[in-house]
Amino acid sequence: MSASVSDWSRQHERGNAILTRLMAWLILRLGWSAGQLLLLPVTAWFIVASGSARAASRGFLGRVLGRRAGFLDVSRHFLSFANVTLDRLFLLTGRTASYRFEVEGLDGLRATLDQGRGCVLLGCHLGSFEALRAIAADCPQRIRPMMYRANAAEPTRLLERLNPALARDIIELGTLGAMLEARESVVRGEIVGMLADRAHRGEKSVAIDFLGSPALFPAGPILLAGALEAPIFLCFAPRIGPRHYRILIEPFHDGMRLRDGGRDAAARIWLKEYVARLEHHCRAHPFNWFNFFDFWSASAKVGDATRQVERLASAAGVRCAQLNDGAAVFDRDADAGTCLGAPAP
Amino acid sequence: MNFDMKATTESELARLIVDTLHLELNPDEIVPDARLFGEGLGLDSIDALELALALSRSYSIELKSDDPDIKEIFSSLRSLAAYVARHRGS
Repeated sequence: MSASVSDWSRQHERGNAILTRLMAWLILRLGWSAGQLLLLPVTAWFIVASGSARAASRGFLGRVLGRRAGFLDVSRHFLSFANVTLDRLFLLTGRTASYRFEVEGLDGLRATLDQGRGCVLLGCHLGSFEALRAIAADCPQRIRPMMYRANAAEPTRLLERLNPALARDIIELGTLGAMLEARESVVRGEIVGMLADRAHRGEKSVAIDFLGSPALFPAGPILLAGALEAPIFLCFAPRIGPRHYRILIEPFHDGMRLRDGGRDAAARIWLKEYVARLEHHCRAHPFNWFNFFDFWSASAKVGDATRQVERLASAAGVRCAQLNDGAAVFDRDADAGTCLGAPAP
Repeated sequence: MNFDMKATTESELARLIVDTLHLELNPDEIVPDARLFGEGLGLDSIDALELALALSRSYSIELKSDDPDIKEIFSSLRSLAAYVARHRGS
Protein backbone atom coordinates (compact mmCIF):
# COMPACT_ATOMS: atom_id res chain seq x y z
CA MET A 1 0.00 0.00 0.00
CA SER A 2 2.69 2.42 1.03
CA ALA A 3 4.57 1.62 -2.17
CA SER A 4 1.66 2.72 -4.29
CA VAL A 5 1.25 5.88 -2.24
CA SER A 6 4.87 6.80 -2.68
CA ASP A 7 4.68 5.90 -6.38
CA TRP A 8 1.77 8.23 -6.71
CA SER A 9 3.56 10.94 -4.80
CA ARG A 10 6.66 10.51 -6.96
CA GLN A 11 4.58 10.75 -10.09
CA HIS A 12 2.83 13.77 -8.72
CA GLU A 13 6.14 15.41 -7.94
CA ARG A 14 7.46 14.63 -11.38
CA GLY A 15 4.32 16.02 -12.96
CA ASN A 16 4.66 19.20 -10.97
CA ALA A 17 8.33 19.53 -11.84
CA ILE A 18 7.60 19.22 -15.55
CA LEU A 19 4.74 21.69 -15.31
CA THR A 20 6.89 24.09 -13.28
CA ARG A 21 9.70 23.93 -15.80
CA LEU A 22 7.30 24.36 -18.71
CA MET A 23 5.66 27.41 -17.13
CA ALA A 24 8.96 28.99 -16.18
CA TRP A 25 10.19 28.48 -19.72
CA LEU A 26 6.99 29.92 -21.17
CA ILE A 27 7.06 33.00 -18.97
CA LEU A 28 10.72 33.68 -19.63
CA ARG A 29 10.07 33.20 -23.36
CA LEU A 30 6.95 35.34 -23.60
CA GLY A 31 8.11 38.00 -21.21
CA TRP A 32 6.89 39.91 -18.23
CA SER A 33 3.64 41.18 -19.78
CA ALA A 34 2.47 37.69 -20.64
CA GLY A 35 3.43 36.68 -17.11
CA GLN A 36 1.23 39.48 -15.84
CA LEU A 37 -1.73 38.08 -17.76
CA LEU A 38 -1.17 34.65 -16.27
CA LEU A 39 -0.94 36.21 -12.84
CA LEU A 40 -4.58 37.16 -12.46
CA PRO A 41 -6.09 33.68 -12.86
CA VAL A 42 -3.26 32.22 -10.79
CA THR A 43 -3.88 34.68 -7.97
CA ALA A 44 -7.62 34.09 -8.12
CA TRP A 45 -6.89 30.40 -7.84
CA PHE A 46 -4.69 30.96 -4.76
CA ILE A 47 -7.34 33.02 -3.07
CA VAL A 48 -10.04 30.45 -3.66
CA ALA A 49 -7.96 27.38 -2.93
CA SER A 50 -6.06 28.35 0.18
CA GLY A 51 -8.29 29.04 3.15
CA SER A 52 -5.54 28.96 5.76
CA ALA A 53 -3.37 31.41 3.84
CA ARG A 54 -6.40 33.66 3.42
CA ALA A 55 -6.99 33.59 7.17
CA ALA A 56 -3.31 34.29 7.83
CA SER A 57 -3.38 37.25 5.46
CA ARG A 58 -6.51 38.63 7.08
CA GLY A 59 -4.98 38.19 10.54
CA PHE A 60 -1.75 39.95 9.64
CA LEU A 61 -3.41 42.79 7.73
CA GLY A 62 -5.88 43.38 10.56
CA ARG A 63 -3.00 43.89 12.96
CA VAL A 64 -0.80 45.99 10.72
CA LEU A 65 -3.55 48.18 9.26
CA GLY A 66 -5.28 48.59 12.61
CA ARG A 67 -8.68 47.79 11.15
CA ARG A 68 -10.63 44.79 9.95
CA ALA A 69 -9.12 43.52 6.70
CA GLY A 70 -11.64 42.80 3.99
CA PHE A 71 -11.66 40.64 0.87
CA LEU A 72 -10.11 43.41 -1.21
CA ASP A 73 -7.21 43.77 1.21
CA VAL A 74 -6.58 40.04 1.14
CA SER A 75 -6.81 39.99 -2.67
CA ARG A 76 -4.31 42.82 -2.88
CA HIS A 77 -1.99 40.94 -0.54
CA PHE A 78 -2.15 37.77 -2.68
CA LEU A 79 -1.68 39.71 -5.90
CA SER A 80 1.35 41.41 -4.42
CA PHE A 81 2.81 38.00 -3.52
CA ALA A 82 2.12 36.71 -7.02
CA ASN A 83 3.79 39.76 -8.54
CA VAL A 84 6.89 39.39 -6.42
CA THR A 85 7.02 35.70 -7.23
CA LEU A 86 6.83 36.47 -10.95
CA ASP A 87 9.50 39.15 -10.59
CA ARG A 88 11.80 36.69 -8.86
CA LEU A 89 11.87 34.59 -11.97
CA PHE A 90 13.21 37.59 -13.90
CA LEU A 91 15.54 38.80 -11.17
CA LEU A 92 16.96 35.36 -10.65
CA THR A 93 17.82 35.03 -14.32
CA GLY A 94 19.31 38.50 -14.54
CA ARG A 95 16.53 39.99 -16.68
CA THR A 96 16.58 43.23 -14.72
CA ALA A 97 16.96 45.85 -17.47
CA SER A 98 13.33 46.99 -17.28
CA TYR A 99 13.28 47.08 -13.47
CA ARG A 100 13.73 50.15 -11.29
CA PHE A 101 15.45 49.94 -7.92
CA GLU A 102 15.64 52.68 -5.33
CA VAL A 103 18.52 51.78 -3.10
CA GLU A 104 19.03 53.30 0.34
CA GLY A 105 21.87 52.59 2.72
CA LEU A 106 24.19 50.83 0.33
CA ASP A 107 27.02 53.26 1.11
CA GLY A 108 27.37 52.05 4.69
CA LEU A 109 27.56 48.45 3.55
CA ARG A 110 30.02 49.30 0.82
CA ALA A 111 32.24 51.29 3.19
CA THR A 112 32.49 48.27 5.47
CA LEU A 113 33.27 45.96 2.56
CA ASP A 114 35.85 48.40 1.24
CA GLN A 115 37.72 48.03 4.53
CA GLY A 116 37.98 44.38 3.68
CA ARG A 117 35.49 43.33 6.32
CA GLY A 118 32.87 40.74 5.47
CA CYS A 119 29.28 41.30 6.59
CA VAL A 120 26.17 39.46 7.59
CA LEU A 121 22.99 40.56 5.83
CA LEU A 122 19.76 39.62 7.56
CA GLY A 123 16.83 39.46 5.17
CA CYS A 124 13.22 38.48 5.73
CA HIS A 125 10.02 37.64 3.91
CA LEU A 126 9.08 41.26 3.39
CA GLY A 127 9.29 42.02 -0.30
CA SER A 128 11.86 40.20 -2.38
CA PHE A 129 15.26 39.19 -1.12
CA GLU A 130 15.96 38.50 -4.78
CA ALA A 131 15.82 42.20 -5.56
CA LEU A 132 19.09 42.41 -3.72
CA ARG A 133 20.69 40.78 -6.75
CA ALA A 134 20.05 43.98 -8.60
CA ILE A 135 22.59 45.75 -6.46
CA ALA A 136 25.08 42.89 -6.70
CA ALA A 137 26.75 44.74 -9.56
CA ASP A 138 27.38 47.68 -7.21
CA CYS A 139 28.57 45.39 -4.48
CA PRO A 140 32.20 44.46 -4.73
CA GLN A 141 31.70 41.17 -2.94
CA ARG A 142 30.02 37.85 -3.40
CA ILE A 143 26.74 37.32 -1.57
CA ARG A 144 26.53 33.87 0.01
CA PRO A 145 22.97 32.90 1.00
CA MET A 146 22.85 30.36 3.81
CA MET A 147 20.01 27.90 3.38
CA TYR A 148 18.93 24.29 3.40
CA ARG A 149 19.12 22.37 0.20
CA ALA A 150 18.28 18.89 1.37
CA ASN A 151 14.84 17.57 0.48
CA ALA A 152 14.56 20.17 -2.23
CA ALA A 153 16.10 18.19 -5.02
CA GLU A 154 13.88 19.38 -7.83
CA PRO A 155 13.82 23.10 -6.95
CA THR A 156 17.57 22.97 -6.49
CA ARG A 157 18.05 21.42 -9.91
CA LEU A 158 15.85 24.13 -11.40
CA LEU A 159 17.75 26.86 -9.61
CA GLU A 160 21.00 25.43 -10.83
CA ARG A 161 19.66 25.41 -14.36
CA LEU A 162 18.33 28.96 -14.13
CA ASN A 163 21.40 30.42 -12.51
CA PRO A 164 24.30 28.04 -11.92
CA ALA A 165 26.59 30.75 -10.55
CA LEU A 166 24.04 31.65 -7.91
CA ALA A 167 23.57 28.06 -6.85
CA ARG A 168 27.31 27.77 -6.29
CA ASP A 169 27.16 30.67 -3.85
CA ILE A 170 24.77 28.92 -1.48
CA ILE A 171 26.17 27.75 1.82
CA GLU A 172 24.19 24.76 2.87
CA LEU A 173 23.17 25.01 6.49
CA GLY A 174 23.10 22.35 9.12
CA THR A 175 26.67 21.27 9.74
CA LEU A 176 29.76 22.62 11.43
CA GLY A 177 31.34 22.63 7.97
CA ALA A 178 28.71 25.13 6.84
CA MET A 179 29.37 27.33 9.87
CA LEU A 180 33.09 27.30 9.18
CA GLU A 181 32.41 28.05 5.54
CA ALA A 182 30.37 31.09 6.58
CA ARG A 183 33.22 32.17 8.83
CA GLU A 184 35.79 31.72 6.05
CA SER A 185 33.49 33.68 3.77
CA VAL A 186 33.28 36.75 6.05
CA VAL A 187 37.01 36.55 6.72
CA ARG A 188 37.52 36.76 2.95
CA GLY A 189 35.35 39.90 3.04
CA GLU A 190 32.21 38.41 1.52
CA ILE A 191 28.55 38.89 2.48
CA VAL A 192 26.72 36.08 4.22
CA GLY A 193 22.94 36.33 3.85
CA MET A 194 20.30 34.76 6.09
CA LEU A 195 16.55 35.03 6.44
CA ALA A 196 15.77 36.01 10.00
CA ASP A 197 12.00 36.18 10.37
CA ARG A 198 10.75 32.60 10.36
CA ALA A 199 11.08 30.32 13.36
CA HIS A 200 11.17 26.66 12.49
CA ARG A 201 10.24 23.58 14.41
CA GLY A 202 13.13 22.15 16.34
CA GLU A 203 14.99 25.44 16.24
CA LYS A 204 15.69 27.74 19.15
CA SER A 205 13.19 30.55 19.07
CA VAL A 206 12.22 33.47 21.25
CA ALA A 207 8.77 35.02 21.72
CA ILE A 208 8.92 38.74 20.96
CA ASP A 209 6.08 41.24 20.80
CA PHE A 210 5.26 41.82 17.15
CA LEU A 211 2.32 43.99 16.05
CA GLY A 212 0.56 43.65 19.37
CA SER A 213 1.27 40.16 20.66
CA PRO A 214 4.16 37.74 21.06
CA ALA A 215 5.32 35.74 18.05
CA LEU A 216 8.19 33.29 17.81
CA PHE A 217 11.36 34.44 16.07
CA PRO A 218 14.41 32.31 15.37
CA ALA A 219 17.44 32.87 17.60
CA GLY A 220 19.77 31.16 15.13
CA PRO A 221 20.44 33.89 12.56
CA ILE A 222 21.21 36.56 15.16
CA LEU A 223 23.37 34.23 17.25
CA LEU A 224 25.20 32.94 14.21
CA ALA A 225 25.78 36.51 13.06
CA GLY A 226 27.22 37.24 16.50
CA ALA A 227 29.42 34.15 16.38
CA LEU A 228 30.77 35.20 12.98
CA GLU A 229 31.94 38.47 14.56
CA ALA A 230 31.12 40.44 11.43
CA PRO A 231 29.10 43.66 11.08
CA ILE A 232 25.39 42.95 10.71
CA PHE A 233 23.14 44.79 8.26
CA LEU A 234 19.41 44.40 7.76
CA CYS A 235 17.87 44.29 4.33
CA PHE A 236 14.28 44.92 3.27
CA ALA A 237 13.25 44.98 -0.36
CA PRO A 238 9.56 45.87 -0.76
CA ARG A 239 7.95 46.03 -4.18
CA ILE A 240 6.46 49.50 -4.52
CA GLY A 241 5.03 49.24 -8.03
CA PRO A 242 5.23 47.22 -11.24
CA ARG A 243 8.89 46.25 -11.72
CA HIS A 244 9.76 48.80 -9.08
CA TYR A 245 11.51 47.93 -5.81
CA ARG A 246 12.91 49.82 -2.89
CA ILE A 247 15.99 48.25 -1.36
CA LEU A 248 16.69 49.35 2.18
CA ILE A 249 19.92 48.43 3.90
CA GLU A 250 20.37 49.36 7.54
CA PRO A 251 23.35 48.93 9.85
CA PHE A 252 22.25 46.83 12.81
CA HIS A 253 25.21 45.78 14.96
CA ASP A 254 28.98 45.87 14.62
CA GLY A 255 28.96 42.14 15.30
CA MET A 256 31.47 42.29 18.12
CA ARG A 257 30.64 41.01 21.60
CA LEU A 258 27.01 40.51 20.62
CA ARG A 259 26.80 37.49 22.86
CA ASP A 260 28.18 39.18 25.95
CA GLY A 261 25.94 38.55 28.91
CA GLY A 262 25.03 35.09 27.69
CA ARG A 263 23.45 33.66 24.65
CA ASP A 264 19.80 33.63 25.71
CA ALA A 265 19.89 37.20 26.95
CA ALA A 266 21.67 38.35 23.78
CA ALA A 267 19.16 36.58 21.55
CA ARG A 268 16.29 38.26 23.38
CA ILE A 269 17.83 41.76 23.36
CA TRP A 270 18.87 41.76 19.72
CA LEU A 271 15.79 39.98 18.43
CA LYS A 272 13.72 42.65 20.11
CA GLU A 273 15.71 45.31 18.26
CA TYR A 274 15.38 43.36 15.05
CA VAL A 275 11.63 42.88 15.41
CA ALA A 276 11.19 46.62 16.04
CA ARG A 277 12.78 47.30 12.63
CA LEU A 278 10.74 44.55 11.01
CA GLU A 279 7.57 46.00 12.47
CA HIS A 280 8.48 49.45 11.18
CA HIS A 281 8.90 48.18 7.63
CA CYS A 282 5.77 46.01 7.83
CA ARG A 283 3.74 49.09 8.67
CA ALA A 284 5.29 50.97 5.77
CA HIS A 285 4.77 48.09 3.30
CA PRO A 286 2.02 45.85 4.70
CA PHE A 287 1.21 44.09 1.42
CA ASN A 288 4.80 42.93 1.07
CA TRP A 289 4.66 40.56 4.02
CA PHE A 290 4.92 37.03 2.68
CA ASN A 291 4.46 34.73 5.62
CA PHE A 292 1.14 33.14 4.82
CA PHE A 293 0.74 31.16 8.02
CA ASP A 294 -0.47 32.05 11.49
CA PHE A 295 2.62 33.92 12.56
CA TRP A 296 1.40 34.26 16.15
CA SER A 297 0.42 30.66 16.66
CA ALA A 298 2.17 29.34 19.79
CA SER A 299 2.51 25.88 18.33
CA ALA A 300 4.36 27.55 15.45
CA LYS A 301 3.27 25.20 12.72
CA VAL A 302 5.53 27.27 10.65
CA GLY A 303 5.22 27.00 6.98
CA ASP A 304 2.22 24.70 6.69
CA ALA A 305 0.02 27.33 5.12
CA THR A 306 2.96 28.82 3.30
CA ARG A 307 3.82 25.40 1.95
CA GLN A 308 0.28 25.10 0.70
CA VAL A 309 0.60 28.42 -1.13
CA GLU A 310 3.98 27.36 -2.47
CA ARG A 311 2.50 24.09 -3.68
CA LEU A 312 -0.21 25.98 -5.49
CA ALA A 313 2.37 28.36 -6.89
CA SER A 314 4.31 25.35 -8.04
CA ALA A 315 1.28 23.90 -9.74
CA ALA A 316 0.75 27.24 -11.39
CA GLY A 317 4.32 27.18 -12.52
CA VAL A 318 5.83 30.11 -10.73
CA ARG A 319 7.43 28.27 -7.88
CA CYS A 320 10.78 28.13 -9.61
CA ALA A 321 11.03 31.85 -9.17
CA GLN A 322 11.05 31.30 -5.45
CA LEU A 323 13.93 28.97 -5.40
CA ASN A 324 16.45 31.26 -3.98
CA ASP A 325 14.00 32.53 -1.47
CA GLY A 326 15.05 29.76 0.79
CA ALA A 327 11.62 29.62 2.29
CA ALA A 328 10.54 26.48 0.58
CA VAL A 329 13.88 24.93 1.24
CA PHE A 330 13.95 26.08 4.83
CA ASP A 331 10.47 24.85 5.63
CA ARG A 332 10.85 21.47 4.14
CA ASP A 333 13.96 20.82 6.08
CA ALA A 334 12.45 21.97 9.31
CA ASP A 335 10.61 18.67 9.28
CA ALA A 336 13.85 16.79 9.09
CA GLY A 337 14.97 18.63 12.19
CA THR A 338 18.14 20.00 10.67
CA CYS A 339 17.56 23.61 11.53
CA LEU A 340 19.95 26.37 12.11
CA GLY A 341 20.84 25.97 15.73
CA ALA A 342 19.84 22.34 15.73
CA PRO A 343 22.30 19.64 16.72
CA ALA A 344 25.44 19.40 14.66
CA PRO A 345 27.60 18.26 13.11
CA MET B 1 51.98 11.70 23.52
CA ASN B 2 52.05 10.42 27.06
CA PHE B 3 48.98 9.77 29.15
CA ASP B 4 49.41 12.80 31.44
CA MET B 5 49.60 15.24 28.60
CA LYS B 6 46.42 13.80 27.13
CA ALA B 7 44.63 14.20 30.46
CA THR B 8 45.87 17.78 30.70
CA THR B 9 44.56 18.62 27.26
CA GLU B 10 41.21 17.07 28.06
CA SER B 11 40.73 19.05 31.27
CA GLU B 12 42.03 22.21 29.60
CA LEU B 13 39.59 21.75 26.77
CA ALA B 14 36.70 20.98 29.09
CA ARG B 15 37.39 24.33 30.75
CA LEU B 16 37.54 26.03 27.35
CA ILE B 17 34.21 24.51 26.32
CA VAL B 18 32.48 25.57 29.53
CA ASP B 19 33.93 29.10 29.38
CA THR B 20 33.37 29.67 25.67
CA LEU B 21 29.80 28.45 25.67
CA HIS B 22 28.86 29.77 29.12
CA LEU B 23 27.73 26.30 30.19
CA GLU B 24 26.39 25.98 33.67
CA LEU B 25 28.38 22.97 34.69
CA ASN B 26 31.72 22.02 36.12
CA PRO B 27 34.36 21.20 33.48
CA ASP B 28 35.01 17.80 35.06
CA GLU B 29 31.35 16.93 34.56
CA ILE B 30 31.97 16.59 30.83
CA VAL B 31 32.40 12.88 30.17
CA PRO B 32 35.36 12.51 27.77
CA ASP B 33 33.69 9.86 25.65
CA ALA B 34 30.19 11.33 25.61
CA ARG B 35 28.94 13.02 22.48
CA LEU B 36 29.34 16.79 22.58
CA PHE B 37 26.54 17.48 20.13
CA GLY B 38 22.95 16.38 19.95
CA GLU B 39 21.95 14.09 22.78
CA GLY B 40 25.24 14.35 24.71
CA LEU B 41 25.99 17.84 25.96
CA GLY B 42 23.30 19.09 23.62
CA LEU B 43 25.52 21.57 21.79
CA ASP B 44 24.48 22.84 18.37
CA SER B 45 26.22 23.98 15.22
CA ILE B 46 26.59 27.57 16.41
CA ASP B 47 28.28 26.29 19.59
CA ALA B 48 30.53 24.25 17.35
CA LEU B 49 31.51 27.37 15.43
CA GLU B 50 32.24 29.25 18.66
CA LEU B 51 34.32 26.35 19.85
CA ALA B 52 36.24 26.25 16.58
CA LEU B 53 36.97 29.98 16.93
CA ALA B 54 38.07 29.48 20.53
CA LEU B 55 40.49 26.75 19.38
CA SER B 56 41.84 29.18 16.85
CA ARG B 57 42.38 31.86 19.51
CA SER B 58 43.78 29.59 22.24
CA TYR B 59 45.84 27.13 20.22
CA SER B 60 46.19 28.74 16.78
CA ILE B 61 44.42 25.71 15.36
CA GLU B 62 42.50 26.63 12.22
CA LEU B 63 39.82 24.13 11.32
CA LYS B 64 38.80 24.25 7.69
CA SER B 65 35.27 23.85 6.40
CA ASP B 66 36.37 21.21 3.93
CA ASP B 67 38.22 19.09 6.47
CA PRO B 68 36.66 15.64 5.98
CA ASP B 69 37.30 14.72 9.63
CA ILE B 70 35.42 17.61 11.24
CA LYS B 71 32.54 15.44 12.38
CA GLU B 72 34.89 12.93 13.96
CA ILE B 73 37.07 15.61 15.59
CA PHE B 74 34.09 17.27 17.25
CA SER B 75 32.37 14.05 18.26
CA SER B 76 33.62 13.99 21.86
CA LEU B 77 35.91 15.77 24.29
CA ARG B 78 38.39 12.91 23.89
CA SER B 79 38.60 13.13 20.10
CA LEU B 80 38.82 16.92 20.25
CA ALA B 81 41.62 16.70 22.82
CA ALA B 82 43.51 14.21 20.68
CA TYR B 83 43.20 16.55 17.72
CA VAL B 84 44.41 19.56 19.74
CA ALA B 85 47.31 17.58 21.18
CA ARG B 86 48.38 16.67 17.63
CA HIS B 87 48.08 20.19 16.23
CA ARG B 88 48.70 22.65 19.04
CA GLY B 89 51.39 25.19 18.40
CA SER B 90 52.21 23.59 15.07
